[in-house]
Amino acid sequence: MGFIEDKEAEKRPRRKITRWQALFPFHWDADAFVMRRDLLRLAVQASGAFFAVTAGLAGLGTLWPRKARGARRPIIEAAKLKPGDVHYFSYPTEEDPAMLLRLKDGKFVAYSGRCTHLSCAVYYSPKKEQLICPCHDGCFEARSGVPLAGPPQRPLPRVVVQEDGGMIYAIEEQPR
Amino acid sequence: MKKSVLPLSETIGGSSARPPHGMGAILLAALLLGILLMGLQLWLLTIALDLYLSGQTAGIWELAALSGVIFLGGVLLQMALRKTITGPWNR
Repeated sequence: MGFIEDKEAEKRPRRKITRWQALFPFHWDADAFVMRRDLLRLAVQASGAFFAVTAGLAGLGTLWPRKARGARRPIIEAAKLKPGDVHYFSYPTEEDPAMLLRLKDGKFVAYSGRCTHLSCAVYYSPKKEQLICPCHDGCFEARSGVPLAGPPQRPLPRVVVQEDGGMIYAIEEQPR
Repeated sequence: MKKSVLPLSETIGGSSARPPHGMGAILLAALLLGILLMGLQLWLLTIALDLYLSGQTAGIWELAALSGVIFLGGVLLQMALRKTITGPWNR
């Protein structure tokens, strides 16, 4: 298989080899064999890269773990939010969107407004009582921030809130 | 009458030697196993990333160690194949 008859082969003078033939002196069948070997080498290199990144993440997590961030800051007066209402604010910095919800039982909960999938802005849907990411239809439970559907795998980072003298304060943002 | 044949590919002196029978299959099996284990490593990497982003460090080193064992296995396999399979096709 893969060969054709050449009755004139013995009469024909032998050809000079080209440069690529000298560099890659393999038969057609052996060529496929060499390519598989190269692919195996590439796979081992990729495996090493995966290991290096995993070990790097482990090192990062040990040396510089992600911690809670932010300082105590007033958000809004508690009386201004009725049960089922939402208030959008920035925390811990002006570039970080966050949201404060008053659940139907009157309890306050706050989360980061960045989706844990690809950091799109998340909004509260009072109708569904869920936090929705419009980019890829991610859904989070309003009470706990746990992902319910779509691509997000991790819950929304929680912003710890405290009610003090009729005012709601943000205390810190906890990674989750 | 003796028939002479011309391979479809370009051929030079001595290069008509072929890999021993079965060696191609061994290499292909090694390659498939390697790719399967690479998929497992990628999965371990995503778990490690999730753990790091969520601020949890418990268990993250075990993932790295498992990934390292797979990598080491790949290196040893490659070395073993290099020793056992030799010939003009073996660069």
